[in-house]
Amino acid sequence: MLKKILQALHLRKILKKGQRKEQPVEQDQQRLSRDLERNLALFRAILGKNADFVLREFCIGTHEKIRAALFYFEGLVYREFINEYVLMPLMYESQHFSIQDLKRGNSISYLQEQFVSIGGTQKILRIEEALNNCLYGQAILLVDGFAEALALNTKGWANRGVEEPKTEALVRGPREGFTETLGLNISLLRRKIHHPDFVIEEMQIGEKTRTKVCIAYLNGVVNPEVVEEVRKRLGRIKTDAILESGYLEQFIEDAPFSIFPTVANSERPDTVAAKMLEGRVSIITDGTPMVLSVPMLFASSFQSPEDYYSRPYYASMIRWIRYLCFFITISAPAVYVALTTFHQELIPTPLLMTMAAAREGTPFPALIEVLLMSVVFEILREAGVRLPRPIGSAISIVGALVIGQSAVSAGLIGAPMVIVVAITAIASFVIPAQTDAVTILRFILIIAAGFMGAYGIFIVLLGLLIHLASLRSFGVPYFAPFAPVNLPALKDTMLRAPLWAQITRPKMLSKNRQRTKADLLPRPERKQP
Amino acid sequence: MRKLVFLIMLMAGIFRLVGCWNRRELDQLAIVSGIAIDQAEEKDKIKVTAQIIKPGDIQITGESGGGGGGGGKPYLNVTNTGDTFFETLMRFTHFVDRRLYLPHNEVLIFGDKMARSGVHKCMDFFLRDAETRLTTWVVVAKGEAGEVLDAKAELEKIPAMNLSMLIDAYVATSEVIASNVNMFGQRLMSKTTAPIASLVEVEKTGEEKKARLVGTAVFRKDKLVGYLTLTETRGLLWVLNKVRSGIIVVQEPDGKGEVSLEILRAKCELTPGLKNDGTPYIMVKIKEEANLGEERGSANLMSMEAWTILEKHQAGVIRHEIESALAKARQLKADIFGFGEEIYKKYPAVWKKLEPHWDEIFPELEVKIAVEADLRRTGLTTRPAVPEAG
Repeated sequence: MLKKILQALHLRKILKKGQRKEQPVEQDQQRLSRDLERNLALFRAILGKNADFVLREFCIGTHEKIRAALFYFEGLVYREFINEYVLMPLMYESQHFSIQDLKRGNSISYLQEQFVSIGGTQKILRIEEALNNCLYGQAILLVDGFAEALALNTKGWANRGVEEPKTEALVRGPREGFTETLGLNISLLRRKIHHPDFVIEEMQIGEKTRTKVCIAYLNGVVNPEVVEEVRKRLGRIKTDAILESGYLEQFIEDAPFSIFPTVANSERPDTVAAKMLEGRVSIITDGTPMVLSVPMLFASSFQSPEDYYSRPYYASMIRWIRYLCFFITISAPAVYVALTTFHQELIPTPLLMTMAAAREGTPFPALIEVLLMSVVFEILREAGVRLPRPIGSAISIVGALVIGQSAVSAGLIGAPMVIVVAITAIASFVIPAQTDAVTILRFILIIAAGFMGAYGIFIVLLGLLIHLASLRSFGVPYFAPFAPVNLPALKDTMLRAPLWAQITRPKMLSKNRQRTKADLLPRPERKQP
Repeated sequence: MRKLVFLIMLMAGIFRLVGCWNRRELDQLAIVSGIAIDQAEEKDKIKVTAQIIKPGDIQITGESGGGGGGGGKPYLNVTNTGDTFFETLMRFTHFVDRRLYLPHNEVLIFGDKMARSGVHKCMDFFLRDAETRLTTWVVVAKGEAGEVLDAKAELEKIPAMNLSMLIDAYVATSEVIASNVNMFGQRLMSKTTAPIASLVEVEKTGEEKKARLVGTAVFRKDKLVGYLTLTETRGLLWVLNKVRSGIIVVQEPDGKGEVSLEILRAKCELTPGLKNDGTPYIMVKIKEEANLGEERGSANLMSMEAWTILEKHQAGVIRHEIESALAKARQLKADIFGFGEEIYKKYPAVWKKLEPHWDEIFPELEVKIAVEADLRRTGLTTRPAVPEAG
C-alpha cells in the first residue's frame, strides 16, 4: 500500500520534470564535410580546448600528395600503435599510393583496404559518430576531399590486470576475476564459452558518461523474451551517468521497494558463464568488475561456484549450512530476545541459570542490549570496510577486546549476548549475496521480538515468506523452485546433485531443457553376453 | 485510502490480540526449582516452601568448591503460610522482590502429614495453571517436606535439582517410582487407580542433612495411606512396565554365594479374564532378559544345568517381588497397578457392576503371575576369578 502511494507520488514528479526537460538536446546530426579545413575547424571548436586532445595534420603520398589529419585523445590510445601502423604507412611508406586509385573509388575505403594496418577500422559519415568514437579512444582519420572519416581502433590505456576476485574467494576453482575494462571482461567470458551461439550485444547508456554496456547471452538456451525485456529496460534509461553496474540495477530491477535484490551480480567469469549456460542474461558494464545477471533467484544466493567444483556430498551439506546460517543471521538475536523476555520456560533449566547469572546486574533490558550490540557490530563492519588497509588491524583489536570483553567485564552487557551477536555476524558472511537484506531483516525481527516475543518473530517471518513468494525477477518467480515448487530444480537447491544427475536446465530459466546426456553415471562398461 | 486504514486497523489488532504480553526480563524473575507443601501449625492452613535459584551465586560456589553452611548458597528457601496454594504463592511477593516463576520447578514435595490429610486441594493448581509443568516430579517426604529442600546437594548445586536427578536416575535400579504431575493427576482423577509418588527421607548426621529415596508413597483417593519398600516398588514397576535396568541377586546353583544379574529389558502384559462364575482375574505375564553381571562364588556356571537353574532362580525373584508388592497393595486396599482400568477396557459391561465395590473386590482379586526370565550373556569372562579346579 505504502509502496503504491510512494510510487504514485514519485511518478507524478518524474513525469512533470520529464516533460519539461525532454526538449531535443540532440548533438549535431550533421554529416562530415568534403572540405578538410571545415571539418577540422569544427572539431577544433568542439574538442580543441582539451589539453589531451591531439590533432595531427599530414600529407599522404610522396609524389601526389593529399592532405589528411588524424585526431585522438592522448591518454586513451596506444601511441606506438598510431605511430607505427597509421602514420608510418601513410607517410613514409606511401610510395604505392596513387591519387587516381583513391579518387576512383570516391571513398576512403582505398586507404582502409591498403594502407592502414590496424584490425578495427570503421567508416564514419556523421560528425557525432566521429566525436563519440574519438571519446572512446579511437583515432579519427580525415582525408581532404572526402565527406567521411575512418575510425581506427587504437584504444589502449592503463588497466588493472586480471586478479583474484576480492569478494568471491574460492578454494578450488579459477582465480581470475573481472576487471574495470569492458574488452578484457568480454575476453574473459569468451574464453569460457567457445561457441558461436554466445552473443554479446553492445549499447551506450548515460547522456554524459556514454558508458558502454553489453548484453551477453547464449542463443538457443536463453529465453528470447528475457533478452528482449533486458533490451527494453536498458533502453528506457535516460540519465546522466552510469558509473557502476549498481546504477543500472536500480533502473531495471523488478522490485525497487523490496529489501531483496532481484538482480544478481558477480565478479567471477566462471559464475557469470555458468549463469548464462543456465539461460540467464548477463549485463556487463564498462568501468566495473561487477557483472549483473538476470533473472535472479533467491535460491542462487545460497549457491557458490565451488559447490559445482567439489564433490556432491560436501557441497550438499554446505548448502544446508548456508540455509541454516540465513536463519541464524536473521533470527538469532531476535530469538534470544524473545526467549529471555517472554518465553523463559523454553530454555532448559541449567542454561537458564547460566543465562540468568550472566544477566544479573546488567542495566539494560535484553532488547536494548541486542540492538546496541547489533548496531556496534554494524559500525565495526562499516569501519572495517572503509578503513585504509594498514589501520585495519586496529579495528579488530578495538572491536574484539574493547567492545566484546570489556563490555562484559564492566557489567554493561551479558556474555551470552556477545556470543549471540558474534554468531549472527559470522553467519551473515556466509551468504554474501543477501547481506544487505539480511541486516535489515535482523533489525526488524529484533524489534518485533522485543515487543511481541516469538509471536512477533513468526508474524514477521510469515510476512517475509509472503513477500518472497510474491517477488519476480524478469518474469521468473523469485522464490522458485520452492514456491512454485519445481521438483527437478530442487536437485540443485536443497541438494547439489552430481552433474551426471542434473540432466536438465531449470525449467523457469530456459525452454531448452536438456543440458547433459542422460545415463552418464561413471561405471565399468557392461560386457555384452 | 479506506483500504489502507482498514489494513492498519487489522495490523493494530494483530499487535493487541496477543496473549503473552507480559514482558519480563531474566533478572526480574525468581526461578523456582522446587516447592514443598506442609501442614501449617494452624488448622486448615498450608505452609509452602519455595526454593529460588540465585543465579549470581552459582558460579561463585562452583569456584570455591561447594558452598554449604554460610551465605554462599546458590539458592534461597522462602516459606509462607496461607489458605490456598495460589494465594500463598502470590503473597511471596510481600517479602521476595521478584515474582516467583514456576515453569522450571522440578519437584513438588508433600510432607507426610499434609499427604495424609489429602493433597487434592493443592494439586489442582498444578494441573490448572499455565505456568506449571506436567513433568514436575511428585514426591512425598517422610517428615517435613521443607527439610528436603534444605538437604545438602553434593554434585548438583541446588537441592531440588539434586532430588530431581535422583528420580531421573531410577532406571539404574528400577527400585524407585518416577511419578510426575501428569501421572499423579491422572490417577487422582481415576475412580479406582491409586496415585503413587516417590518417597524421600532426610537423613540427619549431626548438622548435615541428606535426601535419600526410600520407596513409594501410596495414596487412596488423595490421601496417603502407606509406603512400599524398594523391593516392593520394583514389584510394582514390573507390572507397570517401567523396569528399564537393575540388578537381580540370586543364589548360585550350589548354594554357595550369590550371582548378580543385570536386567537388559523387560516387558509386561496384563490380560484380564473372567472365570466361569463371572469373577474377574488378572493374568500378569512378564518377559525378561538379563546378563550375568557378577559372581561371588567359585562355581563354574558354564553348563546348561547351572544356566537353567539361574534362570529359574531369576524368575523366582521377580515373582516374589511382584507378589510382595501385590500383598502390600491388597493390605492398603489401593489399586496401584491399575487392574481396574484393565478390566474396564476389556469388559466395560462387567466393570459397571464391579466399580462400586472395587475397594472390596481388589484385595480378593486373583492375580496369576507368569514369569519368563532369560539369561543371555556372561560378560567378558566365562570363569569366576578363582584358580581353576583340577
